[in-house]
Amino acid sequence: MGAVSALRKKGLFINLKTCDSFADIKVGLIREIENLEQITTGMNVIIDLGDKSITTKQVREIEDVLLDYGLYLKELKANPVSEKPTDEASGENNVFSDMTPYEKTTLICKNLRSGQKVFSQGNVVILGDINPGAEVIAKGNILVMGTLRGMAHAGVFGDEKAIIAAYRLNPTQIRIANHITRPPDGESIVVKSPELARIRAGKVIIEKLKI
Amino acid sequence: MENKVIVITSGKGGVGKTTTTANIGTAIAMMGRKVVLLDTDIGLRNLDVVMGLENRIVFDIVDVVNGNCKLKQALTKDKRYDGLYLLPAAQTKEKSAVSQHQMKNLINELRNEFEFILVDCPAGIEQGFKNAIAGADDAIVVATPEISSVRDADRIIGLLEASGFREPKLIINRLRSKMVKRGDMMDIEDILDILSIELIGVVPEDEYIVISTNRGEPAVTDNVSKAGAAYRRIARRIMGQDVPFLTGDDSSSLVNRFMKLVKLAK
Repeated sequence: MGAVSALRKKGLFINLKTCDSFADIKVGLIREIENLEQITTGMNVIIDLGDKSITTKQVREIEDVLLDYGLYLKELKANPVSEKPTDEASGENNVFSDMTPYEKTTLICKNLRSGQKVFSQGNVVILGDINPGAEVIAKGNILVMGTLRGMAHAGVFGDEKAIIAAYRLNPTQIRIANHITRPPDGESIVVKSPELARIRAGKVIIEKLKI
Repeated sequence: MENKVIVITSGKGGVGKTTTTANIGTAIAMMGRKVVLLDTDIGLRNLDVVMGLENRIVFDIVDVVNGNCKLKQALTKDKRYDGLYLLPAAQTKEKSAVSQHQMKNLINELRNEFEFILVDCPAGIEQGFKNAIAGADDAIVVATPEISSVRDADRIIGLLEASGFREPKLIINRLRSKMVKRGDMMDIEDILDILSIELIGVVPEDEYIVISTNRGEPAVTDNVSKAGAAYRRIARRIMGQDVPFLTGDDSSSLVNRFMKLVKLAK
């Protein structure tokens, strides 16, 4: 078994080459994480599985295990000839195929300013910014083609598959179904790329939007 | 007569609406135009104090709309410039003493006499604000480089747009370039990013404003005051002139650049 983990510049490196089955890999991974003296939330993790094959579903399972500890899978080294490519792209495709279809989509072609509010029975697409103090509430998904600085609530009637995507995601608060999140206190993180918020493993997570 | 009715508003109090109204109005009058300043902050009037006209008031806006006096009787003439008048607010009444309809009629009457009608709006978004914007053609929003002020300005711009003001203009007041440089204050770009409306002027923080307010002499009448110079430039932009924006940075002022050149030459 002998897994080896080490803290490197790029993140936490976990070696699970010696694990035989996928069940073994999961057990080994959990043990490795539990053995860590301290876990920094949001730390990147690189997992080396040597030449073992792994399916997309299994990759997601590993990601979910890491998410429970507040860790993020940055890279997974596995057999390149596995039945399906294990890179993030195939996982991303599933984000959109999982989404609940809505008949109605509301298109808003202006900036939403403080005190303004939009509600839709379906999806909302905003060609503009949502400023602090403005609210967008949708039964379905929310897509912002500008900067989201205010509050967005997707899946307001309980759709946990709803997503919030924005060209620049810098919200005061994000709500999906009955989950409420806000950016961490202290230093603000500046990300200069489109991002996506959705629920995964019972938590709202933010990730890069890849289409 | 072709005329402009401009409401000067901000949402948040204390950002410099009244100072801005007094200075822009005076600057326009200095250029020889006929201007009236309309104080709509009934119950908390200030514009007369800033203009140094407090002791000349006989009738006020409520007297006019109630028919206690003629409009001409209530127009207080400025002590420095011909063509500059103030229609003061009432101090002993409440905002509800004037209706939006009455305000529109009053402004239409003023249009016969004046080229520029500047309306000083009270803080807040209630009756007083609605009255102030009722008869105006254009709006100028004043904001200071603070989050709370920018938030309120954003709210006000939303309300203005909903009331049919197509292109409200923005004045950034009390900017401290040194603090911006240190990264301790929002810079112009940050503010424009959020508010996304056209900038018509940036007024630097200037101690002289306090002096001028206490004296009742608008800063534009002073040749040294930086804020006064900024307000004069804004007034020219309002009159349709193309005035370039200064960077607001002390080191790039003409005098300093000249000094640098001299030093280089040595």
